[in-house]
Amino acid sequence: MNKVAVVGTGQTKFSKEDGDIEKLLFESADTCIQSTKNCDPNDIDGVLVSTNDNSKYMGAILSEMMGIQPRVSHSIEHLCSSGTNAIISAYSYISSGLSDVVLVSGAESATNPGRVLEWDKSRGNFEHPIYWASMFTKSHKRKFHTTEEELAMVSAKNHKHAMDNPLAYSNKPRTISEVMNSKHITEDLRILDCSRSCSGSSSIILASEEKAKKIAEQPIWITGIGQKTTSASFTKNILGEIKSTRIAADSAYKMASIEAKQIDVAEVHDAFSVCELMAISELGITSDEKSGEFVRNLFNTENRMINPRGGLIGAGHPLGATGISQTIEISNQLQGKSEKRQIQNTRTGLIHNMSAAGTSSSVMVLKN
Amino acid sequence: MTFFEDQLEQGVFQICYCKNCNNTIWPSKEICHICHGKINWKESMNVGKIVEFSKKESMYFGLIEIDDGIMVLGDISCSSEPKIGQSVKMNVSFHNKPHYSFIVENN
Repeated sequence: MNKVAVVGTGQTKFSKEDGDIEKLLFESADTCIQSTKNCDPNDIDGVLVSTNDNSKYMGAILSEMMGIQPRVSHSIEHLCSSGTNAIISAYSYISSGLSDVVLVSGAESATNPGRVLEWDKSRGNFEHPIYWASMFTKSHKRKFHTTEEELAMVSAKNHKHAMDNPLAYSNKPRTISEVMNSKHITEDLRILDCSRSCSGSSSIILASEEKAKKIAEQPIWITGIGQKTTSASFTKNILGEIKSTRIAADSAYKMASIEAKQIDVAEVHDAFSVCELMAISELGITSDEKSGEFVRNLFNTENRMINPRGGLIGAGHPLGATGISQTIEISNQLQGKSEKRQIQNTRTGLIHNMSAAGTSSSVMVLKN
Repeated sequence: MTFFEDQLEQGVFQICYCKNCNNTIWPSKEICHICHGKINWKESMNVGKIVEFSKKESMYFGLIEIDDGIMVLGDISCSSEPKIGQSVKMNVSFHNKPHYSFIVENN
């Protein structure tokens, strides 16, 4: 298998307002190609588009807009983890030798059809993600004695990180008491515990080892990938667990020949505060019982190890772009280019992206 | 509308199971996902147990386990705070989407 590297990145600002998918895609793809110093658009032989938007034929449309005639072009949809699924597809094309250089672009408009999974009849009329998130939160509090303050710390921490991310939808600081006193969506969920659907776009270029050495000064290598889908229905989950994340992480660590303790920086899928606590334990970074304490310690010591760009809660959640933005953040961290958000001496980074109440997860390990 | 939805509209929760391996299939499907056998239907007992719950404004809602380990999200009517493991009775309907409603027994 060919080695695969991240060689270029580009992003738009995230926004609460509705956006035009084509314009957003063009903006991030153009910035991405411009950022890849020695990349001739004619070298790009794959164009993949990640979105939940109903637009058709976006792989070919983006290719035409960018003046590219690739061998491979198509769209990828997998709800909230569409972005990492598109990156992993690009990885597969390159590692198998079917492509050498692939542009992966994700975009979403704030009001997109990926926010609710209508297929899942087991949710009854409680279709919106706030209901499964309320079940996850109540169960976490009951099983692991997680406190309201610990949950609020996830949001306060990630909003604080987002203040140093100029592309985040909001740069407002949120104190723990502000989060705890924010509007109750349900008895177990406050509005500042929730990520917000946003408009936005992000693009990344992946290349084979041979091409990466020619076109990139600091290629970042994808060394581990794990994916797992356990079901599509929320009610097939065991409350308190995200089994798909645990299995995907195990596969990614094995492929990268690392252990969880070697992770220097991670972007995890904090769709809701409780999801960050569950993710860091399923990824093996801490345990279920200590996840609240772990985040408390990060917050108190201003350690940016988890979600340095602000996560989904702080930066916003344009579904099709989220996994790509997470990967860009980890690439930048490993290149030492994260400016105010930079964590020192990073060697190994992780991306965790999931869909529909954790019924499907993607985990990637990157190294510099 | 599917058969399952049509029956919900008539107030009946139909449980889908495999004629061949007897496995319960939830959410209901056209074939068994284990042996790919043909399916059949049986009516729910309309009782369940509370697995987890929360509250939105004045309404309790939660995850309820009904027949054969099937789980659904529904609203919970009760005069005091529900308890985990509490027995509930189920009523169903369909208005563009399924509605599963539960009443705490012996409340």
